[in-house]
Amino acid sequence: MSKAMIRPADVQMIPLSFTLNGRLQELAVEPHELLLDVVRDRLGLTGVKRSCDVEVCGACTLLVDGRPVSACTTLAFEVRGRSLMTIEGLADNGKLHPLQEAFIEHGGFQCGFCTPGMILAAKALLDENPNPTEEELKHFMHGNICRCTGYKKIIESIMAAARLMREGRA
Amino acid sequence: MLRRFRLEEPESVMEVSELLGRFGESAKVYAGGTELLLAMKEGLVQYERLINVKNVKGLNEVAPDNGTIRIGALCTHHQLETSPVVKQKLAALARLEQNVANVRVRQVGTLGGNLCFAEPHADPGILLLALGANLVAERTSSKREISAEAFFVDAYETCLEADEVLTEIRVPVPEGKSGVAYLKFGYLERPSVGVAVALRADGGGKSIQDVKIAVGCAGPAPKRVLEAEELIKNRGVDEAKANLLKAGEVAAHAAQAISDLHGSQEYKEHIVGVLLKRAFQNALSQ
Amino acid sequence: MQFEKQVEISASKEKVWNFIWDVDRFIACVPGCKEAKTIEAGKLYSAIMIEKVGPFRVEFPTTIEVLERDELTRIKARASGADNKIGSRMKLSLDVNLREQGEKTVLGFVAGVDILGKLAALGHGIIKRKADQVLDEFAEAVKKRLEGDS
Repeated sequence: MSKAMIRPADVQMIPLSFTLNGRLQELAVEPHELLLDVVRDRLGLTGVKRSCDVEVCGACTLLVDGRPVSACTTLAFEVRGRSLMTIEGLADNGKLHPLQEAFIEHGGFQCGFCTPGMILAAKALLDENPNPTEEELKHFMHGNICRCTGYKKIIESIMAAARLMREGRA
Repeated sequence: MLRRFRLEEPESVMEVSELLGRFGESAKVYAGGTELLLAMKEGLVQYERLINVKNVKGLNEVAPDNGTIRIGALCTHHQLETSPVVKQKLAALARLEQNVANVRVRQVGTLGGNLCFAEPHADPGILLLALGANLVAERTSSKREISAEAFFVDAYETCLEADEVLTEIRVPVPEGKSGVAYLKFGYLERPSVGVAVALRADGGGKSIQDVKIAVGCAGPAPKRVLEAEELIKNRGVDEAKANLLKAGEVAAHAAQAISDLHGSQEYKEHIVGVLLKRAFQNALSQ
Repeated sequence: MQFEKQVEISASKEKVWNFIWDVDRFIACVPGCKEAKTIEAGKLYSAIMIEKVGPFRVEFPTTIEVLERDELTRIKARASGADNKIGSRMKLSLDVNLREQGEKTVLGFVAGVDILGKLAALGHGIIKRKADQVLDEFAEAVKKRLEGDS
């Protein structure tokens, strides 16, 4: 039982209704609860990671209304009435998303710690810009840090996924 | 974990101001939270109440208004980076916003929040100084327009009163043969040195009619450098170029560079000179 | 961080010296310092130091210890305080000296200031500037107080 479950009687609770990975989710949170803690501890979705805790590394990237945010520095109540996507919601009924397939195919991860954040950020990039140049990709992904791969394989994976997704649509 | 606080969600600027007046230092305006929440997580500040201003309507619009662009304080960096109006009329600002922090901070961080937090290592204030922007602050008893120069007082300190709310940033669109450039340098997460140059040449492009130069990040707050401007203003282009070295030295000194993890004072001052030269040439070429 | 300050005061050495030991009035010259108390006259004092940098505020309950005393010439002291709310400590070493210069007295001091803990996250540069400001204001206040009442 996490500490957060024990609350004083007069505490302010904010009721949340939002879409989590495509499904309606209802929850009540206190104003000070961070999105990262709520997603990991209360919703049990541990793909999102706490790493630098200062919005710099991107390991805590989640998509709110399709746009990347730092869950470590986002108050949980901010997802009220919006859609939240975690890495666990990317695959469609067990079928991997092209990004996930590309990362596997092209070796876009080693230890995998930064990977959920990388893939979600890449998804936001490709949703906004289905045909990015390498420069555009690097600029968008600038805030996601990887300590293992040296980024080359990550870039290849994302570009490959972009091709797959474009062809899929055509 | 953050300490518990009470969330207030007013729906008007007056309500925000009234709350600030009532609760004083125990309450703080909360917009994107990209700076505020970090300080709270570190335990450097504590508040009993956070005033969520994002439900106040009308503060997140970009509107052209007679030679001025009016930017709502709640406009996010992402909004400004992608706004057709900003891209067309204030291209240098759009470019600056595109390069603030990272994509996640740009998504939720607001221009108003950035300016009010007045973190020394920040970009927008410097360019706004060079563009001659004015900031609108409102409270229950008054509304006033503040020049960008007067706004920045010191590190983490603006001239806003305790119950004043920054609502709008008014940026004049550069006229005539003008060029605006903002260049920054940094190798840590935040910029170490930033320089902005906004100039206007005469019809023939042979002399500099007007110039505004601002420096920041290296010192406690962004500043306009009038002394450096004097070396460039109302001079032929060649003469202005010849004065760039001296102007760079003047600007470097004015930056009030502090030696810290971002670099020594001398290093930062040197970079100011380099960036000033490049920003000037960049602006001139436009 | 080391700071060296000097201020010329139109007052006799004796007057300046006595002022220093008039703890309440002396401490009142330090911006942000209040509730000065004598715990052991000539040896141990306490005060509360409150400083602000923008929204960041520290409150250090401080203990000041006099280490050496050369009558009418020199004082060596050290002070320390902790702000547990913010998780920061402050250490100060102070070397005060008085020198006669004609009709005036030159009050000089060398201060070593260390800020430890969370507050250091603000950045060495910011803290250094603030400490410098505080010491400048302190020196000016001492001068004003002494020259004011004559």
